[in-house]
Amino acid sequence: MNAFSFEMLTNYLMLGAALMAVGMLGFLSRRNMIVMFLSAEMMLQGVALTLVGFGRYHGNWTGQVFTIVILTVAACEASIALALILVLFNRRSSLDVSLWQEIREPGQPPTMDRASEAEPEPASTGPETYPHLLIAGREPAHPVEAWTHRRD
Amino acid sequence: MDAISRLDLFTVIAVIVLGATGTYLLLPHGHGRTRPKLAHQVGYALSALSALILMAMMRFGKADVEILSKAFFYVFAFGAVFGAILTVTSRDPIHSALWFAAVVLATSGLFLLSGAQFLAAGTVIVYAGAIIVTFLFVIMLAQKEGRAIYDRMARSPFLATLAGFLLLFTLLYSLVGIQKKGPAATDHNAYVAGGRIVPASERLGMNSRSLSPDQSKVFNRAVSDANRLPEATIAEAKGTHVADGTHVAGLGATLFTDHLVTVELAGALLFVALIGALALAPPRAPIRPTVPVIVSEPASPARLT
Repeated sequence: MNAFSFEMLTNYLMLGAALMAVGMLGFLSRRNMIVMFLSAEMMLQGVALTLVGFGRYHGNWTGQVFTIVILTVAACEASIALALILVLFNRRSSLDVSLWQEIREPGQPPTMDRASEAEPEPASTGPETYPHLLIAGREPAHPVEAWTHRRD
Repeated sequence: MDAISRLDLFTVIAVIVLGATGTYLLLPHGHGRTRPKLAHQVGYALSALSALILMAMMRFGKADVEILSKAFFYVFAFGAVFGAILTVTSRDPIHSALWFAAVVLATSGLFLLSGAQFLAAGTVIVYAGAIIVTFLFVIMLAQKEGRAIYDRMARSPFLATLAGFLLLFTLLYSLVGIQKKGPAATDHNAYVAGGRIVPASERLGMNSRSLSPDQSKVFNRAVSDANRLPEATIAEAKGTHVADGTHVAGLGATLFTDHLVTVELAGALLFVALIGALALAPPRAPIRPTVPVIVSEPASPARLT
């Protein structure tokens, strides 16, 4: 029978929907511009899965051709967006998207980020830490006499 | 409109509730008095459980899919969904980029399983090869010491989780509905039957006698010969031997005949993006003030004479 059944098509559609929804979640909630952009790319991946599944089910190449176009657009988008992120980082020296709130739509209230809601910072090990090495081999005999005799 | 059965509805709701709770616990923000480590472990467990239940919703129908390709499908699908959640919730942007690379690899595996070999290779090369590496460069350029506050704090995590998983709920609900119902009763959609591609005219229930020559011309124009998947792809999926090289050749044939304008447009788009990135990226004087350049006074015309 069919090598690519209708049920397989719905499997691909469900996976594409999951990637799309999780990507949207990340784009809405994360504040790091790079992570936001990665989430947008993940939404594109979900759409690509959907298109490839449809193309295979209908037995033509159109889905794959469209996915190639998506790949091209994603590459262009990545280059432009990374250039923009670099420019924005040079201006504010931070990747926080909340620092760019003055370009929001007029009439919108600004988002207030309360620092008390942030996760506690992980304990820093300090600027100079060295790995703790395990003792290996036999401890050599210490030359104790050399400085005990110095007293007299 | 048929409602889906109670068991399916329960499964969908379980996926949504577990996934939403797990993702909410994993998103970076202070959890009140709960210890963050405990919240993270519970979050990992719940989202993995949600992804596993989503895997249990996958059906293969009557098609005799090999056990190995089924296993690969499950592995890739689970990797894609779980990697997606970890991409979105990682505190370290480097970890996010690496998990995104894992998502891309899983997706290209799924492409390979659905007979899109060229796309699988292209996705790995373009995404995992080029885009991720550029991302890592930018992250390392723009990273500071320690964990920044914007990485430790998601913006309104509850509302974002609610929105994302509500979208997923509506999509899964409708998809499970059509999965149970199957394609339309008249089966007009069965483009591939019995291991061969059904032509457009036959698919619409019209034999060649009932079609005027003009009509059959229209049908054949709608899906041109080059645009049809080769029967080799179908035979390959059934395990029979086919000659190598048919697949990418077919994709190239349709890409450079039916979609020639698309190819040209994509090339033009890449070129424009290249120019745009070059125009945007270099730093300008007011952004990075350096040592002020001493401008020498212009030579007076009197001295020149």
